[in-house]
Amino acid sequence: MHRLLRIWNLMAGHRLRYAAAIVSLIIASALLYAIQYIPTVVIDGVLAAEPSTESRVESSVALFGSRDWLRDNLWVFAAVMAGLAVAAGFFTYLRGLLAATATESIVVDLRDRLFSHLLHLPADYHDKAETGDLVQRCTSDVETLRLFLVSQVVEIGRAAFMLAAAFPFMLWIDMRMTLVATCCLPPIVFFCLIFFRRVRDRFKHVDEAEGAMTSAVQENLTGIRVVRAFARQDFEREKFAEKNAVHRDSDFQLYKVLSQFWSISDFLCLAQVSLVTGVGGYWLLAGSLGIGSYYFFLSAVNMFLWPVRMMGRILADLGKATVAIDRVGEILDSPVETDAEVEPASGRFEGAITFDNVTFHHGNQKPVLDEVSFTTKPGETLAILGPSGSGKSTIIHLLLRFYDPDSGTVRIDGRPLSEIGRKQMRRETSVVLQEPFLFSKTIQENIRLGRSGASDGEIVEAASIACVHESISEFEDGYETLVGERGVTLSGGQRQRTALARALLDEPSLMILDDSLSAVDTETEHLILQALRQRHGRHTTIIVAHRLSTLIHADQILVLDHGRVLQRGNHRELVSQDGLYRRIWNIQSAMPDAEPDGSESRAKNGVRR
Amino acid sequence: MSLEDIEHEERIVAFDWPLWKQILTYAKPYRRALGIMIGCGFGLAAVESGLPYITKLIIDNALGAKETADHWRYCAIYASIFACIPIAVFIFIWFAGRAATGMAYDIRAAAFDKLQTLSFSYYDERPVGWLMARLTSDSQKLASILPWFCLDIAWGVVYISGIMGWMLFLDWQLALWVFTIVPPLAVISVIFQRKLMRSQRETRKINSKLTASFNEGIVGERTTKTLSREADSLAEFQELSSSMRDYSRRNLLQSAVYLPMVMALGSIGVALALWRGGEALGVDVGGAALAVGVSFGTLVAFMQYALQFHIPIQEMAERFTQLQAAQASAERLMQLMTTEPTIVDSEEVLERMRLAEPGAAAIDGGSNRIESIQFENVTFAYKKGETVLSNFDLTVRQGEAIALVGATGSGKSTIANLVARFYEPTGGRILLDGVDYKERSLSWLQSNLGIVLQTPHLFSGTVRENIRYGNLAATDAEIEAAAELVGAHDAIAGLDRGYDTEVGEAGGLLSMGQRQFVALARAVLADPQILIMDEATSSVDTETEQRMQRGVEVVLEGRIAFIIAHRLSTIRNADRILVIDHGRIIEEGNHAHLLAAKGHYYSLYTKQFVREQEEGLLRGRPSGGE
Repeated sequence: MHRLLRIWNLMAGHRLRYAAAIVSLIIASALLYAIQYIPTVVIDGVLAAEPSTESRVESSVALFGSRDWLRDNLWVFAAVMAGLAVAAGFFTYLRGLLAATATESIVVDLRDRLFSHLLHLPADYHDKAETGDLVQRCTSDVETLRLFLVSQVVEIGRAAFMLAAAFPFMLWIDMRMTLVATCCLPPIVFFCLIFFRRVRDRFKHVDEAEGAMTSAVQENLTGIRVVRAFARQDFEREKFAEKNAVHRDSDFQLYKVLSQFWSISDFLCLAQVSLVTGVGGYWLLAGSLGIGSYYFFLSAVNMFLWPVRMMGRILADLGKATVAIDRVGEILDSPVETDAEVEPASGRFEGAITFDNVTFHHGNQKPVLDEVSFTTKPGETLAILGPSGSGKSTIIHLLLRFYDPDSGTVRIDGRPLSEIGRKQMRRETSVVLQEPFLFSKTIQENIRLGRSGASDGEIVEAASIACVHESISEFEDGYETLVGERGVTLSGGQRQRTALARALLDEPSLMILDDSLSAVDTETEHLILQALRQRHGRHTTIIVAHRLSTLIHADQILVLDHGRVLQRGNHRELVSQDGLYRRIWNIQSAMPDAEPDGSESRAKNGVRR
Repeated sequence: MSLEDIEHEERIVAFDWPLWKQILTYAKPYRRALGIMIGCGFGLAAVESGLPYITKLIIDNALGAKETADHWRYCAIYASIFACIPIAVFIFIWFAGRAATGMAYDIRAAAFDKLQTLSFSYYDERPVGWLMARLTSDSQKLASILPWFCLDIAWGVVYISGIMGWMLFLDWQLALWVFTIVPPLAVISVIFQRKLMRSQRETRKINSKLTASFNEGIVGERTTKTLSREADSLAEFQELSSSMRDYSRRNLLQSAVYLPMVMALGSIGVALALWRGGEALGVDVGGAALAVGVSFGTLVAFMQYALQFHIPIQEMAERFTQLQAAQASAERLMQLMTTEPTIVDSEEVLERMRLAEPGAAAIDGGSNRIESIQFENVTFAYKKGETVLSNFDLTVRQGEAIALVGATGSGKSTIANLVARFYEPTGGRILLDGVDYKERSLSWLQSNLGIVLQTPHLFSGTVRENIRYGNLAATDAEIEAAAELVGAHDAIAGLDRGYDTEVGEAGGLLSMGQRQFVALARAVLADPQILIMDEATSSVDTETEQRMQRGVEVVLEGRIAFIIAHRLSTIRNADRILVIDHGRIIEEGNHAHLLAAKGHYYSLYTKQFVREQEEGLLRGRPSGGE
C-alpha cells in the first residue's frame, strides 16, 4: 500500500492534469456510448415496422424531427454520429495530451532528482552499489514508471468509470439485460486480482535473471583480455550459457502464466458476450426486447468488457510500477551527505592539517586507520608512504570527507572538519586521485573544470607543467580532442597528467596527489616534481607515493603500515633510523651490480637500431 | 570508428528484406511453434469474422421465422466460436513464448560466441556498453517482436479478408459504401506510423545519451565532488533530460492523434452502414422488410463489421512500426554476427587440429615446447599511417627474461600484444621455434601465455576463484602455493577473509596493488611458457614488490618472459634489457653492460637512482645500508 502511496506522491503537482485526462476520457467514452445509442433509436424508433412506443425511444426520436421525415433523411443520424465520433476523437486526444504532459513533467523531474541525488550520495554508498544496477534503476525502472503513468493511471480511472457510468445507462434501457450483461464481471475482477500477484512475482524473477545475465556479459566483455590471455573462452561460454538459460526459462515461465491468465480471462469475457447474445436474442424472439436495445447491449458489452479485460494488464503494469518505484525509492531514500548546520563564510584555509587520534573502519572490518595523529604547517609538503592497504588513501578520503572518522578528529586551521562545509573543503582542495576520471568532453574542457574562468593560455600552461602539453598537441584535434567512450582513449599516464593539469589550474589551499604519478615514467615524473616544488609554500601539499624520489623533498614523511604511523620525519631523519623507510630506501637505491668492468661490455653493446 | 560513425549505421530508410531474411534463420528452429501459432491465427480470424453473421441469423430468426430451435442452434454456434478464442489465445501466448525466449537465447548465445572470437581491434573501436546492448536489449527486442509480428500479420490479413468477404456476401452495394473508410484509414496509418517511427528513433538516441550521462555521473562521482561541480553536472544533465522530455512528449502526442482518428473513422463506418443500410431497408420494406433488400439482421451485422474494421488495420500498422523500429537492432546484431574475426586459426591449422592425435604434444600436432620467439622484420600499426613498430627484430630463447624499457608510447606494450597474438604484425613475421605463429593454433599459444597487466581485471568472486582462473583444475593447495611463489600469500592471508575475500565488480573492492598480486598469482598458476608482465607491480608497495621479485625470479626459470616496467629495480635482473624508442630498439644488453655503455639506459638509470643517492647523501644518508 505504501508503494501506491509513493506513486501517488510522485504525481504531486500534476494530479489535476490526470484528473482532467480522466474526465476527457470519460467524456470520450460517453460519446462513444452515445454513438452506439443512435442506431438503437433509429432501428427501434424509425426503421422498425412497428415503431417502439416506449417514451425513451419516442423522446429520443423527437430530438431529431418527425419520424416520417427522418425515415427519408437517415443521413441526419449518420451526420450526428460522425460529429460525435469526431468529438469523441477530440476528447481522446485531449486525454493523451494531458496525460503525456503530466507524465513527462513528472519523469523529467524524477530523472533530475535521481541524477542530483546520485552526485550527493556519500562515498560509502557508491562503494557498495554496482554501477550497472544504479544505471538500470535510473533508466529502465524510470521508463517502467513512465509507461505506467502515461497510460495506466488514466486507464484505471476509465475502467472504474466505464462500469459506474454504463451501469445506469444500461439500466435505463433494460434492467433484465443489464443483469445478464454484467453477471460475469465479479468473477473476472476476482480472477484478475488473483493473477496480479502471480504475474508480478514472475516479473520479478525475470528481472533478476536478466540482471544476472547482463552482469555476466559485462564481466566477460570488460575482462576480455584476461579471457583471451588464459584461453578461457569455453569456460566463459558455459558460464554465460547457464545465465542465459536461466533467463530464458524464467521468461518462458512468465509467458506460461500470461497464457493462462489471458485465455481464462478471455473465456470469462466471451462467456459474458455469449450470454448477452443468446439470452438477448431469445427475448428478442419472444418479443420482450426491442431490436435496437438488443443492438445496444451487443455493442455496450464489448465496450465495457474491454477495459475490464485490460484490468489484468493494468494490474500487471501496476505490479511492475510498484517494483520500479521501490527500486528508485531505494536510491532517493538513501541519505545524502549533509553539511554542518552553520556554514561559515567561505575563504581560503591557511592549510594547517591536524589528525588527532583518528580511527576509521569500513563496516565491521579491521580498522583501516588506527589512532593516526599528525600535523602539518601551512604551506608544508607532507608525504605518505606505506604498503598497499596501509591506509594512505583513507587519509585523503577523510580529508575530503568522503568518509568521516569513527573516532578522533581531523582539523584544518584548528577547526574540526565536521564544522566546515564539505563543499568548502573540497573547493579549497585540488586532488588528483589514483585512477583519475575524465569526463567525456574535450581535453580542454576537462582541464578547465579545475577553474571555470581559466583562459586558454592558462590551460596550456597548466598542461605544460603537468608535462602533458606535448602529448595533447600530438592529437589530431589537439586540445579539442574528445576524451572517453566517444573520443580517444588516453593512456593511464596521460590521464594522470591531464588530471594533474586540471588540479594545477586552480589555486587551492590544499593540493593532494594520491599516487597520481604511478603511470608516468620517471623522467617525466622528475620534471613534474621539479615544477611542483616551485609552488612550495603556496599551498599545503599531500603526496602519496611508492617511489621515494617522489617523497624525498617533502618536509615531513609519514610511514604507514596497517593503519598506524610507524615512522615520521623528513628524509634525512628517516634514513638515519632503522625501519621500514630505510629498508625501502636501501631496496630502491641499492646498485647491486657494482660498476661493470668496462671494456668487454662496451664492445658488446653498441647502439642498435 | 567513433561512436558517431556507429550511430550512422542506425540510419535506415526502407524495409530491408535481406536483413530480415538473415534474422529469420534464427526463427528456423522454432518453425513448428511459429507454424502452429500462424495456423491458429488463420483459423481464429476465419471463425471470428463469422460472428456478426451469426448475430444476423439470430436477429432475422427472431424477427421473422421465430424458430426457437434455430435460435438455440445459432447460439450454440456462437458459443462454440467463442470457445475457440481462449484456446487460440492460450496457444498464441504459449508458442510465442516458446519461440521468443528460445530465439532470444539462441541469438544471445551466438552473439556471445562471436564476441569470444573477435579480435581486439574490434573491441578497441567499440565501448563495452555498446556491445552489451547487442546481447541484451537488441536480442530481446527482436526475439519478442518477431513471433507477434508473424501472428498479427497472418491474423490481420485473414480477418480483414473475412470481414470484407462477409460484407460483400451480405450486400455488395452496402459493403462498397462501408469500404470507403478503408483508403483514409490506410493512408492515415501509413503517415502516422512513419512519424511515430521517426520520433521514436530520436527518443531512443537521446535515451542512450541519457544512460551514458547517468553512467558518467556515477562513475565520476568522486571527481565531481572533488571539483565541487555537482551543480554544473546537474545543469548539463538537465539539458539532456529536458530534450528527452520534449521528444518523448512529441512521440506520445503523435499516437494521441493517431488512435482517435482511426477510431473516429470506425464510427463513421458505422454511421455509413446505418444511413445507407437504413435507406435500403426503408425503400424495400413497406411493412415486410425481411424478404427483399436489407434485413434488420444484415443492418446490425454491417454496423458491427464497420466497428471492427479498424482493429486489424491498426494492429498491423503497429506491428510494422515495431518491426521497422527494430530494424536498427537487427542491423547492428547482424553486423556483429557477420564480422569476421581477423585473427583466427587458418584452415590448415584447423585441419591439423582435427588430425592431431589426442595424445599429441600440442592440440595442433606441433611441438608443445616453445624454445624461442623470433620477431622477424616486424612492422605494426594499430591504425593505418600510425606505425608503432617498424622493421623490428628480436630473438628470445627459453629461460630468458627480456625487459622492455622506454617512454610511454614507445611501443613496449605493443610488443607484448604481438607476442600474445592479440594483434598480428602488419608486416614481417613472428616465429615460434622457426615456425610462423600464424601456422600454430591460437588457443594453444594463448593457453601457454601468462599475462599480468598494469590494471589487471579480476572477475567478481573470491580471491581464490580469481587465482583459479589460471588453472581451473587447481586445488586450493596449488592456489596457495602459486600465491606463495609470487610472494603474495601473506598479503592475501592478511585480507579480511583471506582467500575467500570477495574482490567485487572488476576487483573494485581490492586496491590496485592487491589486484596486481592476485593477477600475478593467477598467471603463475597457469604455468605458462611465456610470461608477460606489463607494469605488473607498479602499484604494489616496495616491500611486497621485492618479495614478489624474488618469487618471479624463480618462476621465470625455463620460461620466456617479457617485462615492462618503469621502476628500474624491477628490471635490473632481466637477462636482457631492450631500450625502446619510437618502435625501435636503441639499446640492448644486460644491466651491467648497458650501464657500462653509458648510453640511454645509463642516463635513464642514473637519473633516477643516482639522483636518489646524491640527494640521500646531501641529506645525510648513513654509510652502509643493511
